[in-house]
Amino acid sequence: MIYDQARYVENGQYEPLLSEKETTEVEVGGDDSPLPDDLTRDSVELPDLSEPELARHYTRLSQMNWSIDSGPYPLGSCTMKYNPKFTEDVAADPNGAVHPDRSARSVQGTLKLLHGLQEYLAKIGGMDAVTLQPPAGAAGEFAGILVAKAYHEANGDDRNEVIIPASAHGTNFASAAMAGYDVVELPSDEDGRVDVEALEAAVGDDTAALMLTNPNTVGLFERDIEQIAETVHEAGGLLYYDGANLNALLGRARPGDMGFDIMHYNVHKTFATPHGGGGPGAGPVGVVDELAEFLPSPRVRERSSRSGYELFDPERSVGKVHGFHGNWLVLVKAYAYIARLGDEGLLDASAKAVLNANYLGSQVEFDIPYGPFHHEFAATSGEKDAANVAKRMLDYGVHPPTTKWPEMVPEAMLTEPTEIESKKSLDDLAAAFNAAAGDDEETLADAPSRTTARRIDQVSAARNPQLSWRALDDESDDDA
Amino acid sequence: MTSERGSPYAPHADAETVAMLDAIGVDDVEALFDIPEGVRFDGEFGIEPRSEQALRRELSALFAKNDDLTEFMGRGHYDHYVPSIVDNLSQRAEFLTSYTQYQPEITQGFLQALFEYQSMLVELTGLPVANCSMYDSATALAEAARLANRVRQVSGTRVLVPEFLRSGKRGVLDNYLAGTEMTVETYPMDDGNVDVGALSELVDDETAMIYAENPTVRGSIEERLADVGELASENDALFCLGTDLVALALLEEPASVGADVVVGEAGVLGLPSAYGMGLGLFATREEYLRQVPGRLVGVSEDAADKRAYTLTLQTREQHIRRERATSNICTNQAWVALRAAIHLAWLGPSGLVDLAEDCVRDAADLAERLDALLGLQAPVHDRYHFREFVVRCDQPAAAIAGDLESEGFAVHVVGEHLLQVCITDANAHDADGLVAAFEEVL
Amino acid sequence: MFEVPDDLRYVESHEWTSTDDVARIGITDFAQDELGDVVFVELPDEGDELAKGEEFGVVESIKAVSDLYAPISGTVVGVNEALFDQPELVNDDPYAEGWMLEVEPADEAEFDELLTAEEYREQTE
Repeated sequence: MIYDQARYVENGQYEPLLSEKETTEVEVGGDDSPLPDDLTRDSVELPDLSEPELARHYTRLSQMNWSIDSGPYPLGSCTMKYNPKFTEDVAADPNGAVHPDRSARSVQGTLKLLHGLQEYLAKIGGMDAVTLQPPAGAAGEFAGILVAKAYHEANGDDRNEVIIPASAHGTNFASAAMAGYDVVELPSDEDGRVDVEALEAAVGDDTAALMLTNPNTVGLFERDIEQIAETVHEAGGLLYYDGANLNALLGRARPGDMGFDIMHYNVHKTFATPHGGGGPGAGPVGVVDELAEFLPSPRVRERSSRSGYELFDPERSVGKVHGFHGNWLVLVKAYAYIARLGDEGLLDASAKAVLNANYLGSQVEFDIPYGPFHHEFAATSGEKDAANVAKRMLDYGVHPPTTKWPEMVPEAMLTEPTEIESKKSLDDLAAAFNAAAGDDEETLADAPSRTTARRIDQVSAARNPQLSWRALDDESDDDA
Repeated sequence: MTSERGSPYAPHADAETVAMLDAIGVDDVEALFDIPEGVRFDGEFGIEPRSEQALRRELSALFAKNDDLTEFMGRGHYDHYVPSIVDNLSQRAEFLTSYTQYQPEITQGFLQALFEYQSMLVELTGLPVANCSMYDSATALAEAARLANRVRQVSGTRVLVPEFLRSGKRGVLDNYLAGTEMTVETYPMDDGNVDVGALSELVDDETAMIYAENPTVRGSIEERLADVGELASENDALFCLGTDLVALALLEEPASVGADVVVGEAGVLGLPSAYGMGLGLFATREEYLRQVPGRLVGVSEDAADKRAYTLTLQTREQHIRRERATSNICTNQAWVALRAAIHLAWLGPSGLVDLAEDCVRDAADLAERLDALLGLQAPVHDRYHFREFVVRCDQPAAAIAGDLESEGFAVHVVGEHLLQVCITDANAHDADGLVAAFEEVL
Repeated sequence: MFEVPDDLRYVESHEWTSTDDVARIGITDFAQDELGDVVFVELPDEGDELAKGEEFGVVESIKAVSDLYAPISGTVVGVNEALFDQPELVNDDPYAEGWMLEVEPADEAEFDELLTAEEYREQTE
């Protein structure tokens, strides 16, 4: 046994709901109201606590939450990197807090930063033009596919299919479908890469685009990328790059050079903007010259060094994918991160990300069926249930990898330590993997036991959805 | 600081790197990259690394290039005073640097906070299901129309939206429906309210959804919302109501006027002016639960029979249902929802209602003061207003707005002779200044 | 070993049907085991028409969604509404209390095209 101490929470004390602490119902309307009663509601009931009580409530909740500052967070394909603190301070600059409808001449600083970020991203991706509007990676995929659709339509080309490898992120399928495309699923070859023969058979006059992640979702570089690009282009299709795994390639290969026409960047993955427990993210989209006129509007350009920056609508823009200009605060943090690292830092980030994944892979006792991998690997827990192994790893004080995905690896444990972990930290992670590997089925099935909550019953949550404290009250009424 | 030449956030000492390479069995990190020669890149982006200190100077200087204007702007993006506690608590790294709650046993804190956010939306909308966020009000509206498409498949493809709708919202709506049979049409407004008569002419059993806003984009408060709800219901169309977190505390409760889906901006609380960054509110009826886009937090029990929170009904989502998911959304605006929840809880019910009432009073007062000025009429619409209103000006609106900028104030231009002005607790103390500036430039 | 009653007929997509005048339809023991805990079942309404081989509903577990395919053509005359409150019946008792639809077959000759219990057993082994 390597670990014998609870690493996470000593007591099982739960934090009561705000509504359990105190709520008040106040009347709305009446004589003092600025509105006649028929235009107002009758009352509002909400939590009613003092500031000190709230401070303790949310502080307690924060203590019941894992984060990148708590310890390793090796979720494969999620790329949980350290979020530099100074980026919060620069994003909080009050002069940057402007309304989106301000005149361009009065927000030159904002526009200059956005323009600078467009330029940085274009260089990093090997793209010609970038929009910063999509508020998350999936929104970027959707915007990118809209661009592809507009391009084909402008050419009078009626194409209705998007080809996606079976191992791709679920968002690829959903984004293509939202844009109205039929999805054609592409199998992997036995090495875990795109099956080029299957691709050749799949492409044709109906092919609008192929969406691809490279390295793919088991960390493998698609070695045949040039041939893949040629195959898709010859059929008249476009090549879309899902930027989820860009952290593996920074400075060593660029999607634009590989033949990709459209790509999105996940700034929380590659450029270390905090994920905030589920967002906000940002999903800028880069395209080659030929597609620039279709990008969402507006974009930022420099008019001249004297007259400064302006917003403009690309000539045949697909229009809007966000009500305004996207997730501004996140974009500021991404700019600051890229500028902090520069060429050498970016190159080093991918080097250390790949080094860490390979070192961790070498220390983990589970089999890793596909390689050579880059920034992440898909180990298999074999006879053991990967989800149970993951729960047991919680007891060992680490966050487990992504489990049971991609499905090409049975009982997959998709692991991505990123560049931020030290050797010591990777050794701890490996020890957690290996300790769980050595535990018996019963222990695994009962895990975790040292965490804030024990194993949570997902089945009853889904069979009997209770999604608000009103629903909880109704439930206890039923019991009574 | 570890290495001068690498990423400042990679901790490897040289000896560690060597030991790790040994363990892997290669001599050089470069050997780990399986990238064909033909697509190799030389690593030169031409991006100069800067120190943290230099960057703070650089960006501070950059933002100083923004003119320091007092904004009286709204039209879908609002600035309310955000109390210090919101920044302080939401910035705790345990919240800020966490990921989506895929392992609920160690993310109970965030899950509870999101559950409480959902719960407060349920209280305010009167609808029993609220998700834990969409990107912004525009994408929330667009997702509502997609929901209408799924639940109203039989009865038609028309989506009716008001004549006055932010172009950004309309643009997103059009794009989100591009892959469906749905078509978007506008219905007219009557002096700042839905023209219920005209709408009743337009609506038919081919109508899948009617969208209305309260307050409208021009700040006017709707007076016949229940009639709109009735029209929708009679025609088996979904009634989607757009609003925001502050307006909800005062204006008619969405459930009471027959709203089937409530969308809008929840980032009016918790977020300062952020160049349009938002927080999409989304609530609906129980019967559409399985068609809801985005993440939902539910309650269950753990192995020790204690209450526990978890993401639930995930089979709706893209990572399981892929091309048949209710939406492609994955990462949403969870942290912004946390901020809104803290702000909401800090205000409490009285504070929230007071804030909302001030949005009506202050707008009425400011409109009256501007109306008294020669060459201005306000409000243009003879309605009650929330936060903002349209001003008719005898001189060209763009010229006045430009002159106001020189005086240090920003307002919207919404027509050749129309301006729009928005007042909240964040700028109300400068109302005298705005009025004086108008006097100066007229 | 999974239970495969001899008196029922099967399709490769793991639905079963009885061969009665009003045929009962459900999913097999093997299918419920593969899915895991069923949390939700979506079924057509009475009066709806089924077409052999076409989707007629959806069954969901926590981590998976499966379409249901009609083993025969016909008119739905009964729906097991108990499943809406107790989807676990599909796991607990897939051939009895966990039934899904009652269907008036359009063409009884279709039964002959289906797998026998023995043939289905071979498929799942």
